[in-house]
Amino acid sequence: MSHTASELLPLTGTVAPPDSAALAGALRQASADGTPLYPIGGGTSLDYGLPARAPGLGLSLARLDRIVDYPARDMTITVEAGIKMSVLAAALAEQRQRLPVDVPQAERATLGGVIATNASGPLRYGHGTIRDYVIGISVVDGRGMEFKGGGRVVKNVAGYDFCKLLVGSLGTIGVITQATLKVKPLPESSALVACRLRDHEQAEQLLAGLVASRTSPTAIELLAGPAWEDEPALEPIEPAQTGSGFGQLVIALEGTAVEVQSMTATLADEWRAFGVAAHVLPPERAESLWKRLREFPAAREGGQPHFAPKAPQNEPVPNAGLVAKINVPASRTIEMIRLAGEIQPDCSVQAHAGNGVIVVRMPSFPSGGISRLWIGRLQPAAQQVGGSAVILSCSQVSELTRQAVWGRPAQAAMLMEAVHRQFDPKNLLNPGRFVYS
Amino acid sequence: MRSPTTLASLADELRAIVGQSGVLHAGSDLLVFECDGYQIEKNSPDIAAFPRSTDEVARVVRAAARYEIPIVPRGAGTSLAGGCLPVGGGLMIVLTRMKRILEINLRDRYAVVEPGVVNAWLNQALAGTGYHYAPDPSSQGACTIGGNVATNSGGPHTLKYGVTVNHVLGLEAVLADGRVIQCGGPAEDSPGLDLVGALVGSEGTLAIVAKIWVRLTRNPQGCRTMLAVYDTIDEATDTISQIIGAGIIPAAIEMMDQGIIAAVEQAYHFGFPLDAQAVLLIEVDGLEAGLDAQRDVVAELCRQCGARNVQFAADATERQLLWKSRKQAFGAIGRLSPNYCTQDGVVPRTKLPHILRRILAIGEKHRVRIVNVFHAGDGNIHPIILYDEREPGAIERVLQASGEILDECIHCGGSVTGEHGIGVEKIRYMAKMFTADDLAAMEHLRTAFNPENRLNPCKMLPTAGGCGMEQIRPGRRAAL
Repeated sequence: MSHTASELLPLTGTVAPPDSAALAGALRQASADGTPLYPIGGGTSLDYGLPARAPGLGLSLARLDRIVDYPARDMTITVEAGIKMSVLAAALAEQRQRLPVDVPQAERATLGGVIATNASGPLRYGHGTIRDYVIGISVVDGRGMEFKGGGRVVKNVAGYDFCKLLVGSLGTIGVITQATLKVKPLPESSALVACRLRDHEQAEQLLAGLVASRTSPTAIELLAGPAWEDEPALEPIEPAQTGSGFGQLVIALEGTAVEVQSMTATLADEWRAFGVAAHVLPPERAESLWKRLREFPAAREGGQPHFAPKAPQNEPVPNAGLVAKINVPASRTIEMIRLAGEIQPDCSVQAHAGNGVIVVRMPSFPSGGISRLWIGRLQPAAQQVGGSAVILSCSQVSELTRQAVWGRPAQAAMLMEAVHRQFDPKNLLNPGRFVYS
Repeated sequence: MRSPTTLASLADELRAIVGQSGVLHAGSDLLVFECDGYQIEKNSPDIAAFPRSTDEVARVVRAAARYEIPIVPRGAGTSLAGGCLPVGGGLMIVLTRMKRILEINLRDRYAVVEPGVVNAWLNQALAGTGYHYAPDPSSQGACTIGGNVATNSGGPHTLKYGVTVNHVLGLEAVLADGRVIQCGGPAEDSPGLDLVGALVGSEGTLAIVAKIWVRLTRNPQGCRTMLAVYDTIDEATDTISQIIGAGIIPAAIEMMDQGIIAAVEQAYHFGFPLDAQAVLLIEVDGLEAGLDAQRDVVAELCRQCGARNVQFAADATERQLLWKSRKQAFGAIGRLSPNYCTQDGVVPRTKLPHILRRILAIGEKHRVRIVNVFHAGDGNIHPIILYDEREPGAIERVLQASGEILDECIHCGGSVTGEHGIGVEKIRYMAKMFTADDLAAMEHLRTAFNPENRLNPCKMLPTAGGCGMEQIRPGRRAAL
């Protein structure tokens, strides 16, 4: 079941401007009236960040969904922010190209939303994040002023890099209306290689081994917890050695057919030295597992997309999940997973283990409140291993505090606030939802 | 107005922070800091300080704040757009004493360096580890990583691996009021705004970077380096589009035209064909398993586009010589002309044939010789305009030709700088590339970091002109 924006945000109405000029007009009007504004793309991340409490106007980017310019031979594309990620992917695939940023719910998620939330997926190990692909951006700030940064060429250092500033800013610096991306060729071939892990120590050995691997993986995914136990793609894989098994390690390899073949063989050799058998998943199993790897942060236990309904105060929503994203130095991934398991034994984990990015999902909403029971312990644990934890989505928003969602303020928080004030002086863009109030 | 007494008093305070040898105050001592690689405009700072730690930088900045004196940070001074020019004098903070590699962490694939670390030193320190730091500006033997961060430098291998900002994980920086901030670090995606992304390429106008966490990249298993030789420039530039269009991203595609080939050949004796109109230096890298096939495809595309000859580097020595010829090409230009001005523009890759034809025509029109050596795979051109400053009117003609080339880059949908920044040289082009509102937004960002505009004033933004400076005659800027 999915929920509409009006169920997730305190909207007094929604406008869907046909172009950026109209959108800027709406922002100028809202600025004059002091009306809070909530930018809406595909609506897949409206439960990311603090819940909105001030009533305001929804600003839908649905009509800004055009491909503006696609000089395929330059390997760049300029599109409006409301374009669906799947539509963008299809247009690029026609020229055998792609934007190698894999996010959940690509059929609904928009490029603008992906930029604003800095969403990422397994491919970030090999290809980076959206930050590495946005080379030009057009924005309307909180005053209704249209501005742009970057341009349409792959190398450009004229002026400040607004592309980076907007990535992950959750709509608080401005509403993204258009972006130019650099793109890559589609790989000729790919494969998933998996093994079952005996315990934490073995997992760390294998991960450390990958740092020196003669292969070049594009994804290093470590999967643990109940959500993965019934994964059919992984069923035929035997435990590495004896023992109950801690989880699975899944490696993605891409390149020409010859390269992929060579890498799968090399990886199998390297793992054999650790006493681990490498299983190359048959294509159809690889495809289904890859889909699940992409969708995990947005999926419920049953695999369906999860959207948080706007819950009445103090009334827990039955059987709804809670997802956190933890970022630690890559070498601390296993230690962090172990700590998360101590805090909540039945949580499920997908770690982009080469990057130290760990998505932790609880099967159901904990009774008694998040701060006390879970996040309140997860965040200090993440800090202890040199990182941070944020809530990615949550079904019961009533108890969310800034501390619960974003953790301790960053050291440069005052500077972030100063930057925000410059672009949104009246605090009307997604007010109260991001790290600054 | 800064009186000699005030400056002497500031110098005393600075000596207390960075030591006697860490302050230069006498006029003649400061001459070396009057410009960077952009030599058309010059002005000396009033004082230069050489801090050795973040804490010393912060204390120096606080002292400067008390005296309300502008600050210009500087690394090795290899930048080419006047980013280090102390317009209006002031205090220059030279970061070359902060040259320690603080940590190399292979398990987490990062290194921590001070800003004065020379780019090439990091890879020397990484030799044998199987990892390297990917951004490789051609000046990497001299330029500092702090300077690379300030200008978001590129280099030949950034075609495949990305520019500096793609490899910076975190920064420690000193703000204009002396506060020290850290953004980013070894853990990715720290909550909040991407201030690292804002600081990289900000040309020292937002903060002074004092520590850098950089991403390390696994060495490719192998590489194949080749030289394709052409009788026409069009054939060479067409090859670039064909290779990229075929879905192959080489590690590097560098182009040199006939003028530069001659100079490089005289200097390094590689055996470049002197009658060729252009050569492409192409490198593919990756897994050994696929490399020969990839090399063959690229070589075939070169031939299809008209290359009369494709030579492969037979061994590591030959490859090194090829790269040395390319990276030190600028050093060879002295053989062509007493003075030169290197431009830095960008066009979409498919517009390369057009822009090179225009450069030729513009050179003829203004009676200046222009040679080309550049990062062709990125569309990042570097026309080198040769002149003799003793010749009356030469500088004016160079500036006119530069201007027309950059205008044409904008006209093609490109940029007026791909890796050297705006500095003072290109301020007037900002209003051509950006609207008044774009520039106002940039001003807002700068105000948040640097509200009194004392960090590297009069740089990058045309609106920064109102800081009490004027251009007193062509080629000289000074304080009023």
